[in-house]
Amino acid sequence: MRQLIRTGVPLIAFVLALGGPLAAQTSDDFFNPEVLQRIELWMHGQDWEKLKAAFQENTYYPADMTWNGVTVYNIGIRSRGLGSRSSTKPGLRVDFDRYNNGQQFLGLKSFVLDNLTQDRTGIKETVAMRFFTRIGIRAPRETHARLYVNGAYAGLYGLVESVDKTMMGRVFGSIGDNVQNDGYLFEYNYVLGSPWRFTYEGSALAPYKARFDIKTNETHAESLIWGPIEELVRLVNDTSSTLFEQTIGPRLNLPDFVRYIAGQNFIAQNDGFNGYDGMNNFYFYRLENSPSHVFIAWDEDVAFLQPDFGITTRNEENVLTRKTLELPAYQSQYFSVLSEAATSASDWLRPEMQRQFDMIHNAMIEDTLKPYTNAEYAADRETLLAFPDARITYVRCEVAKQTGAPRPSGCQ
Amino acid sequence: MKRASTFALILIALAALPAFAQGKKDKDRRGFVWNDRPTIVFGKDINVAVTGRALVEWRWFDPDIGEDLFALRAGRLGLKGDLTRHVDWEIEREIGAGGVEEDDSRIEFGDWKDVFVRWRTYDAARVKAGRFKIPFGLEQNTGVSELDFAYRALGSQKIAPGRDTGVMVSGELGRLGYEAGVFDDDGDNAEWSENQFVQEGEDLENVGPSFAVRVTGDLFRAISSSGRLRSANLGFAYTIADVPEGLNSLRGESFWGTEDFFERVYVKGRRQRFGAQFDWSPGPTSFRAEWMQSREQRKEQSNRNQDLSDFIGSAWYVSGTWFVTGEDKDNNVNPRRPLLKGGPGAIELAVRYEQLGFESASKQGTSFTNPRAEYLTPNTDSVFTFGVNWITSKWTRVIVNAIHEDFEDAARTPEPGTTSFWSGLVRLNIVF
Repeated sequence: MRQLIRTGVPLIAFVLALGGPLAAQTSDDFFNPEVLQRIELWMHGQDWEKLKAAFQENTYYPADMTWNGVTVYNIGIRSRGLGSRSSTKPGLRVDFDRYNNGQQFLGLKSFVLDNLTQDRTGIKETVAMRFFTRIGIRAPRETHARLYVNGAYAGLYGLVESVDKTMMGRVFGSIGDNVQNDGYLFEYNYVLGSPWRFTYEGSALAPYKARFDIKTNETHAESLIWGPIEELVRLVNDTSSTLFEQTIGPRLNLPDFVRYIAGQNFIAQNDGFNGYDGMNNFYFYRLENSPSHVFIAWDEDVAFLQPDFGITTRNEENVLTRKTLELPAYQSQYFSVLSEAATSASDWLRPEMQRQFDMIHNAMIEDTLKPYTNAEYAADRETLLAFPDARITYVRCEVAKQTGAPRPSGCQ
Repeated sequence: MKRASTFALILIALAALPAFAQGKKDKDRRGFVWNDRPTIVFGKDINVAVTGRALVEWRWFDPDIGEDLFALRAGRLGLKGDLTRHVDWEIEREIGAGGVEEDDSRIEFGDWKDVFVRWRTYDAARVKAGRFKIPFGLEQNTGVSELDFAYRALGSQKIAPGRDTGVMVSGELGRLGYEAGVFDDDGDNAEWSENQFVQEGEDLENVGPSFAVRVTGDLFRAISSSGRLRSANLGFAYTIADVPEGLNSLRGESFWGTEDFFERVYVKGRRQRFGAQFDWSPGPTSFRAEWMQSREQRKEQSNRNQDLSDFIGSAWYVSGTWFVTGEDKDNNVNPRRPLLKGGPGAIELAVRYEQLGFESASKQGTSFTNPRAEYLTPNTDSVFTFGVNWITSKWTRVIVNAIHEDFEDAARTPEPGTTSFWSGLVRLNIVF
């Protein structure tokens, strides 16, 4: 009862305190891609300096946050990222429930402030995720925000939905009367110097535990958490083509997987599932009460590498990709999704890029903490704006070449 | 493992030494004598004695909290003596056996404990200088050989300051005793976890000193009709110190120290402690109780650099003991029939109930565990300890304790989600 009171009363008090302004707004408003948000963080002056000084650590610091006239108090923030970590413009993870399990904001427990240090255009991540959603790939909601810390402009950031139980509920809806959010969610952990391409690493769970960080049900037995992943990897490696679909199908949503890798290829993501240094940048979710796994997109800020990024780049290197695409039906689906992506992008991708550039332009120019100049931003912007038309043509021509379909005009 | 074996052998030797030496007590001799401990007497009021202690412990935990089930707890070796009729002194240092898994036979020296010299010419004003315990806390200022339980109460460990370097005046004025001192920091139990965060070009502000005062008295002795209560002793204590800015508050550690049930919060300003103590030992029984509270200021510590309400730590305990074998608790406990003389030793039953909790002075709005929250989510550890003490000689005792720990906040325990923990121990104490 004491615990119930402790959890329930703060939540009710919090909702009542925020009252009117919060009730009218939703998390869709917060991540509205049409709006450049304004996020204000209020932190003890020493904490902000400490966070920047120790930007390689994951130490949490308390803060208050104001958005759209609503302030949420006593949240936790920490530095985040891998190669994007920065002492001058730190990427941030914002946890609403860090210091009170019951505290949420617009139904969210957390979100990410992407510092955009690895993308000199500032929009690759947000465009990619919006495009994924458009073509049926599960991806977090994102937009941009001007971040202010203690009243001072701290730069242009990407506002990114956390991949967590809340998002699983949004994406997967319900199973019966139950929200589909209590499965096993993993963040793929890129192990530096140990590229992995879905090869079997033995029956011990340690190698899989090292690569798949569990984000839900952390207290369950290791065999329950990582056992099915070991089994999946073993079966993918050991199963012949003839038995592949019936063996792997129940354990991995193969059509969704093919859609995911084809979508990543279309946006020329060189550091994704079939990345240049092995697999990287995704979440993996085993559905509640099911052996089936699905992929969730994450971190696409180095996408749009070049328009002529090969449409089968490294498909032979990854065991799962190779063995799946050896099956004619999935190979056909792969090229079909590429064509679908090209069609979807033809009247949307460039206008969307232009719209986002227009939205962030002033915030980007005024951001003196970004690790690139405004001239570099301008140059990369022009390069990116040239990507859609060239990529659409290239993909259409290459798909035709691969499938034997008539080649569209414009092919070299 | 070699190191553990060596240490165990030393323990056995230490345990045997007092037994063999018991017949050699002779306070008038010069040279080596046994005055409850090995002593070299150079002349009247000039002597040096060797002091030591060692503790061996077997434990169990339910649920398991990852602690070792066997512990060679750190021992101590020291010297104490008189220089003249007016001056005495003491030095003591920890010795450790290291981990039982380590393949190393060396005995390592640890922290210095008591290192002081005392001028004691006048009962009304004795002066002590060096490193010793700050006069706060009845149990904290009780030696390990006289404790009723294997471990001191949580408040004595976490709120009472413990040792520090300083100068203290103490004495008796009629029925009142007093101690007043100034110390370099604020005691070992309150060490800073974080230095002040200083940006380039800023100077570090000075830390400390702390001041402490304690007054004790046999207050019931003045009341002629108080009967057995005449031996009851009451006391009040107070300390004050400046605390450097940072995560430097006191904190709540679980009984075995495996987890902070209340982590440090950001503080800046004044730390005060208030204490009250009661000690009564009629015949073979004893009753002890203490209450103590710490209040730490949090100036400019909110997320917006504004003042926060005080951070408060509160602790209390009540305990009682009874010598089943009839020994008088009020004096130094000597078994009427020691084990090595064919008797059963002295057997004492003991029970203690205690609480240690932390909270903010403010209770407005929603509570958070955020170390900068105005209203901090409180958490309290309540502990029952049941004990049997088997005192086999003046120097050795076996302590059996069963400990039940119960936390208020299920999220902040040694095993989140579990609030109730049992543990137990059997300890061999050797002190001379």
